[in-house]
Amino acid sequence: MKRVDLIVIGAGPAGLSAAIEASSRGLSTVVFDENARPGGQLFKQIHKFFGSKEHKAKIRGFRIGQTLLDEAGKAGVDVVLNATVMGIYMEKEVVVRIGEAIEHIKADAIIVATGASENMVTFKGWTLPGVIGAGAAQTMMNLHGVKPGNRILMLGTGNVGLVVSFQLLQAGCDVVALADAAPSVGGYGVHASKVARTGVPFYLSHTIVEAEGDDHVTGVTIAEVDSHFNFIPGTEKHFDVDTICVAVGLSPMSQLLKMAGCKMEDNPKRGGQVPIIDAHGATSVPGIFAAGDVAGIEEASSAMIEGRQAGLYAAEYLGYIKDADFSEGEDELDAALSGLRQGMFAPGNKGKRIEKTDEGIPVSDSLLHHGFVADDEIERFPGVTHRPGVHPVIECTQNIPCNPCQDACPKKCIEVGDKITTLPHINEDNPCVNCGMCVASCPGQAIFLIDEDCGDGTAEITLPYEFLPVPEKGAVGKALSRKGEPICDATVVNLRTAKAFDQTTLLTMKVPKAYAMKARFFKAE
Amino acid sequence: MSENKQPLTTLSDRCADIGPFVPAPDDDMIVCRCEEVTKGEIRKAVHAGLWTIAEIRRYLRCGMGLCQGQTCSKLVKGIVARELGVSPALLEPATSRAPMRPTEMQVIATESEVNF
Amino acid sequence: MKTTADVIVVGAGIIGNAIAYYTAKKGHSVIVLEKSAIVGNGGSSRNGGGVRQSGRDARELPLAMYGIENLWPGLSDELGYDVEYVKKGNLRLGKTPAHLKILEGLAKVGQSCGLDMRMIDGKEVQAINPYMSDEVVGASWCPTDGHANPLKATLAFYMKARELGVQFYTETSVTGLKKKAGKLKIVETDKGVFEGDTIILACGLGARPIASQVGIDIPMSSVLIEALVTEQEPDMFPQMLGTAEADFYGHQTAHGSFVFGGSSGLEAVNSDNGTPVTHSITAPCICRGIIKYMPRLANAKIVRTWAGWMDHMVDGVPVIDRIDEVPGLILACGFSGHGFGIAPAVGMTVSELIEGPDTTVDIFGLTYDRFKAKA
Repeated sequence: MKRVDLIVIGAGPAGLSAAIEASSRGLSTVVFDENARPGGQLFKQIHKFFGSKEHKAKIRGFRIGQTLLDEAGKAGVDVVLNATVMGIYMEKEVVVRIGEAIEHIKADAIIVATGASENMVTFKGWTLPGVIGAGAAQTMMNLHGVKPGNRILMLGTGNVGLVVSFQLLQAGCDVVALADAAPSVGGYGVHASKVARTGVPFYLSHTIVEAEGDDHVTGVTIAEVDSHFNFIPGTEKHFDVDTICVAVGLSPMSQLLKMAGCKMEDNPKRGGQVPIIDAHGATSVPGIFAAGDVAGIEEASSAMIEGRQAGLYAAEYLGYIKDADFSEGEDELDAALSGLRQGMFAPGNKGKRIEKTDEGIPVSDSLLHHGFVADDEIERFPGVTHRPGVHPVIECTQNIPCNPCQDACPKKCIEVGDKITTLPHINEDNPCVNCGMCVASCPGQAIFLIDEDCGDGTAEITLPYEFLPVPEKGAVGKALSRKGEPICDATVVNLRTAKAFDQTTLLTMKVPKAYAMKARFFKAE
Repeated sequence: MSENKQPLTTLSDRCADIGPFVPAPDDDMIVCRCEEVTKGEIRKAVHAGLWTIAEIRRYLRCGMGLCQGQTCSKLVKGIVARELGVSPALLEPATSRAPMRPTEMQVIATESEVNF
Repeated sequence: MKTTADVIVVGAGIIGNAIAYYTAKKGHSVIVLEKSAIVGNGGSSRNGGGVRQSGRDARELPLAMYGIENLWPGLSDELGYDVEYVKKGNLRLGKTPAHLKILEGLAKVGQSCGLDMRMIDGKEVQAINPYMSDEVVGASWCPTDGHANPLKATLAFYMKARELGVQFYTETSVTGLKKKAGKLKIVETDKGVFEGDTIILACGLGARPIASQVGIDIPMSSVLIEALVTEQEPDMFPQMLGTAEADFYGHQTAHGSFVFGGSSGLEAVNSDNGTPVTHSITAPCICRGIIKYMPRLANAKIVRTWAGWMDHMVDGVPVIDRIDEVPGLILACGFSGHGFGIAPAVGMTVSELIEGPDTTVDIFGLTYDRFKAKA
């Protein structure tokens, strides 16, 4: 039987990273993936990633996917596509379907990186065509160029629900509302805010009563729920929609590990049925490792590090690495992973209600309950300061692992510090040169360049703009508040694009001075 | 489960009282799409004594269809746990079985030595 | 927790559940102890669902014939749960003269016991089942055989017994058996001590170490068997199928899927990891066998494969017996992979054995004291 050092199952961010690491350490490595193209979910991710430089922050997901593929090619990794692993049998034997036949192959180590699948919820009408997973909507839009629907309700305000809502808006869909049975927004506040400011309402403590329609969704009714998740009569809201997107979490696709005999546990904090693993990703079966979402739902950024860890540990397990090199690699990866696993959304904080930021600032209630920071809350955060002339206003109010703004500013106006979950603050001593790098670099689209008083009774606000068509210079329209309500007239006075902005347009609009700290989005007439 | 009952901490005593089956308005809602199994059928099966996911699957076929429970397994687990008044974590999920994806007999029958 | 009953049954497979049902129906109190967390998790959920008389050893044939005549036809109604019983015959297929010779031998055994079973040629096979390959040159045919759903039948007996007040304890492992004043009474478990006037071991392979505690050795061994199931297919044929060399056996279920069991030939020496694991070479082998006989199924998709240990008695038939040297002990184990079809009759018969040695069905060939050195 054919034998290799390492089989990696799954060519997503974790699997590819694992294979690159292992292959570069000298292991003969083969990667199987059932899909026609590699990259897992990365190629659906058109948004910029959070994190720090070593986490490939501010780079769009699909570009990270391409980079990983290039690295895998250079490292000599054999990625076999359309290869469905049917089972892991005794003695680390993998049976894989390739074409119209099956093949048996053994390995001395296996890394399972099969990712996750979308959860579903049931409600009356949930089986109607038009009720789809948010991930499915993303596949339709971003891989196949198909609009999932025209009028859409999103159920779920975790990062997937928020990110996909924004992408639906980018695709030209009308997102009528976001609903979530939880009492507060589950995902990053900055993701919520960029959706809210376009005018999409958030309904927390609300869930779907019924999807309406005979042979396709034609409408949806949501209602408020009490603390026991029972509907409160009289709180029903109806929307005419043709599509309902469901983003209620992911479940690890851990069946192969279970079949392989790995000890499993039901761990709600990690998304469900997961292998019991040590800090090295090693399962209870010697030589079988797990990395990425299959070992616990997290972000692609952490999946890539877990993948590299598993690759490193597999190399160590098979004696391909010197102790010193191993320790060095281990320390580097541990540091990178712990960098991501801190802050308010750290795995350890799952389900906890956090009242104050690390800096001791009360969190924004409006953000948690409505998706945007209220006007009277924004001033208390350290990224929001005032001075004459153009200066950055950073509406970053939660401790999330992210610091591209600090690196983006050539004048060191913006500081985060060593701990990347610290809220960015402004260094008043350094001048802002209005280069726009911070605006384009912020994955949360939370940075604005503002001249609060142009001297003629107006203010100018530069904001990140990722919609098509881009309005023309001179276009008139309305400025929208953080809540997405039109609050004043606005004129586009400048549009900037640059390679470094990576397809984010910097739109500068002129508004009456009084709205400098209120207007956050532009909508053409 | 009636109000004053102690919650079950083990599923070993299959005659422990979990209260009567009480019909609910959403009993006709389909939970397993592949095999068209409703919430009411699952709840009734629990009251008939089927307290494990394996038994529920074997009796009702939920999670035994083409998607192999990828969509409904968490939902079924939640319904069974609620009916029993226990934490879902107490319920062992279904055993993982090859093939991980439905595969034609002809393909399984063909063991090749081709390479990749 | 109830710990005493007239009868304590060890094992909640279809045999144990059927015994519990027929015993409770007679008015005895019953406790069933099951090692697994799951009811029916041994051979009861790992078999082809055959309700056959043909191909059986003459010693267990009376149980099979009685069950098919008297118990299976009304079982769904009696239990209140559909067990999907279908009585449309069994074809045991042959492709070579050697196969036909095996089949003729089996047919003779059946006929000698009064079973309606005969040899048919390839043409008649086609007439009964047009999906068979032309290569099939003959078969043994028993029109009164059939199949049922083993998963549902096992749980149906369980649910009905539970309705009748039988107490079931799962995740309860028997650790010891003890006599009280010369009579077997006490069952020690990891969950406490149980006491009954009759103790019945209906727990397959598990019966051997338990019975040894009271000086009884049951000569059986474990064999790993595998089964597989396809996705739903259009209705094709209702017969139970087997082959002369038993390379596969199975049927189309009420749901439309095909369930087949089979082997690779290496079962006797296959390793395992402590759980019954499928082997990578077995399903391909079973599929090749099926396709050779039924080319139409080549594109049917397999959705699951699973394995289980069979309690193989040294001479291939079970022990169903009151053990005179240990009063109070009844054995019903060692069904050797063909217990499902006779389970109702075994349940009824054991419920009679509790009350005395006389049984409706002749089980004289299944006694415990039959194992002797070769002559």
